[in-house]
Amino acid sequence: MSREPTNHELIVEKHTRNLRDGYHVWSHDKTDVERALGDYRWTGEMILGTYYQAEHGRPPDNGLEYRVGASGGGFDVLDFNWLPEEKWLAETEGVDVSISLNRRGKGREITIPIPIYGGGMSFGSISEQVMLARAIAAKKWSTFFSTGEGGYPSSLVPFKDHIITQVATGMFGVREETIQHAPIVEFKYAQGAKPGLGGHLLGDKATSSVAALRESVPWVSLFSPFPFHSVYSVEDHRKHVDWIKTTNPEALVSVKVSTPTDVDMVAVGSYFAGANIIHLDGSYGGTGAAPEIAKKNIAMPIEFAVPKVHKYLLGENIRDEVVLMASGGIRSADDIAKIVALGADGAVMGTSELVALGCTRCSNCERGRGCPFGLTTTDLLLSEFVSPEWGAERISNLYQSYEFQLKDILRKLGLSSIRELRGRKDLLVYRGNGRK
Amino acid sequence: MAKHKTDYVRYHIHTETANEIKRWPTRFRVKVKKAGLAKWLLKEVLEHGLGNRREVVLSRPCLYGVFSGPVGGFAPRPQHCVGCLRCTTEYPEMVSVTHNPERKKLGDSFFASSFIDALSYESLEGVIPVKGAGYRGKFGGEGWEGMWTDMSEIVRPTRDGIHGREFISTVVDIGYRPNYLQFDEEGHLVGAEPKLISIPLPVLFDVPPKNDQSEKAARIIAKAAAELETLAVLPITMICRIGLVGKHIVPLVKAGEEELLSNLGYIPDLVEMESWDAHLAESILRWYPESILSLRLTFPVREEILDYVQKGISTFHLLADYHGQDVEGNFVLDLIRETHKTLVEAGIRQEVTLVGSGGIITAEHIPKAILCGLDAAAVDTPVMAALQADFIGECKQREFSQFSLPAKLTIEWGVQRLMNLAAAWRDQLLEISGAMGLREIRRMRGEMGRAMFMKELEADAFAGVAGYE
Repeated sequence: MSREPTNHELIVEKHTRNLRDGYHVWSHDKTDVERALGDYRWTGEMILGTYYQAEHGRPPDNGLEYRVGASGGGFDVLDFNWLPEEKWLAETEGVDVSISLNRRGKGREITIPIPIYGGGMSFGSISEQVMLARAIAAKKWSTFFSTGEGGYPSSLVPFKDHIITQVATGMFGVREETIQHAPIVEFKYAQGAKPGLGGHLLGDKATSSVAALRESVPWVSLFSPFPFHSVYSVEDHRKHVDWIKTTNPEALVSVKVSTPTDVDMVAVGSYFAGANIIHLDGSYGGTGAAPEIAKKNIAMPIEFAVPKVHKYLLGENIRDEVVLMASGGIRSADDIAKIVALGADGAVMGTSELVALGCTRCSNCERGRGCPFGLTTTDLLLSEFVSPEWGAERISNLYQSYEFQLKDILRKLGLSSIRELRGRKDLLVYRGNGRK
Repeated sequence: MAKHKTDYVRYHIHTETANEIKRWPTRFRVKVKKAGLAKWLLKEVLEHGLGNRREVVLSRPCLYGVFSGPVGGFAPRPQHCVGCLRCTTEYPEMVSVTHNPERKKLGDSFFASSFIDALSYESLEGVIPVKGAGYRGKFGGEGWEGMWTDMSEIVRPTRDGIHGREFISTVVDIGYRPNYLQFDEEGHLVGAEPKLISIPLPVLFDVPPKNDQSEKAARIIAKAAAELETLAVLPITMICRIGLVGKHIVPLVKAGEEELLSNLGYIPDLVEMESWDAHLAESILRWYPESILSLRLTFPVREEILDYVQKGISTFHLLADYHGQDVEGNFVLDLIRETHKTLVEAGIRQEVTLVGSGGIITAEHIPKAILCGLDAAAVDTPVMAALQADFIGECKQREFSQFSLPAKLTIEWGVQRLMNLAAAWRDQLLEISGAMGLREIRRMRGEMGRAMFMKELEADAFAGVAGYE
């Protein structure tokens, strides 16, 4: 016997339906509708273009500028040095966009079929539903996503082979079993959006379930310390790596750092400490909450950090032993290809996945009940706007569109593998002359 | 066991909500098509009824109260709108949310409305603006926008407390500090002695703009400086006219005003000369030998500063216009670096204090200006913005800029706004210093190794990219 839906269910159903219709209408609307949507980095068109890709699994064909923003620098002043059309690879020729995540020549071999995985977003900063959506999409694409700091609920255990367990300075949610489960363990030294400041989870979002996982007190703000209080040197960092290797000898180790002046030295230090992956998080990356002053003014953008590190690793003759992943303001397939051309092996995506799920980049993630679209929230009602299956489909479609575009870019550059693109700055063109 | 008594008092700025006294244009405009709303409501009522499903019918697409007035969406309240756009996503045919062009008109071409927004928030509560999502602005740009501060993955000022920033000192010294002390054979101090005052944060208040040198504005600045234990520069004519007293009040004196020196009812920590005048300098030192003498110099300041040091001046207040430029259009960032470098090369940087004004309008400009070589900044237009003054046209030249303070301005409110602003800026300074691993602001001065510039980084990163020169 079917029961009457509750008011709660009807409210969720009403708003969910409206929102999903809205994402469709907006991304298929005329491009000149005046809205308070977008900013210099993520323009309104780029947001709508991402909605479109999340719906259709291919780039928009309705005139939306989804490839670049209007920031006037970095990715937005770079283009590709296309070959003449007669030199493009034929569409029938296979193009490989897979990358290996372990280039040490020993230990577990992990290859991902697309050069991206999902960046750290903690339980508490985002909802369990969004975490699950990311997990399902990661599994479908045989790639990974990072838990962020805060552990993960038991509903994610079936996806453990696609989860990167993050160990950050607060050690929130770090348990022996989540280390043992993890194919990759990520040390987060710093986050691009707030380098040198430690994580923030404001009290409103620290619900009892979030607090239970973090072994903290509900509704109390959690500020992760900075830095690791047990690390004063590369040797100390090495001890951390050893600790992970003792708990899970098979795990690959990723070290996530921000982009200070000496980011090249930090990268070399991480290599000597035994890292498989060096993950650079540039200063324009996403966050659930960060002081505004930190987002713009501390540490350098990823477009500048990656070539610096790439060059230094080459000089040290160790470039082919480590995987360099980049994040922090990488918004589109074009950005992924550009950062690879600047020297990265692949990219770590965060904000673009949330935009695929309906994020408007309104910056209200941290206040009150959290995200009004049900993404960066732990509010019971709001978080139900995103079902894991719907969310996974959207993220998966976005990945599909990225894969399509990356292959297209490589073909037009005459390359059959994304690995050939790494460090090929000569395949980029600068378009920033005369910028304001 | 001997008991240790200490006079140590931790520096604290008292913050308290100081609501806006004048309603500024809202950030967003929210428009609802009323006929559409009525039709939609009717449809909802028909679908769900008004009995126990009322909650469903009335469930609104706004968490912030835009549609929570007495008649809901029929009279939206845009002052509550945060621009999330959920309402217009859900009801694109019925609701529109756009930027309010009136809000964008606040400030001027340099002191953009985005700075007013940040400053307004800081003055309201005295807290650091914290928000979700990443950076939304331009990639870089000219001046301060093309500069980043460094951070350290491992180095901390101290590992006491969770972030190590709890014991960072924001104290700066103003005055003369000899490079070394000299003693005679009997151990007596000979030669120059330090003549310094210390203020607990590297922020002073500069003279209010010419058209706003009202008694009320002067009293607000003077009282806020006293509460913050910093300094406020005010014209000596004003000080004498309204009878302000307090060693933290810095009289600004020009040639011909020597006789007013005798009218001050206190001994100031610092006396500032509008421009160099030997007779004036002599008069000031005669009247107030214990005070530190400061000289205002307009950028560009090059080798001539060395001459003034020879004449015995150790504290300089360097002035750009309100947009941070000199007469030739050079920006204050480069101008500060140039002056700092001149002193470093002459081997006397430690002996001299540089205070700067003009173009330093937001929290991040303070550490950036200090990294470039200032000891402290004397803020000008931010005071006006915190007090909700309107900028009348372009406010660039100090002589001619026009501001209009709100009619309801009270001293108590104004002081609290400035204290809130100072608290928010100080906390942000601690964040930046903590990230850099610096334990005291004094060590930040001129630390160019901890600064990164877009031009240099870009040249390095994009070398080899076709078309990049």
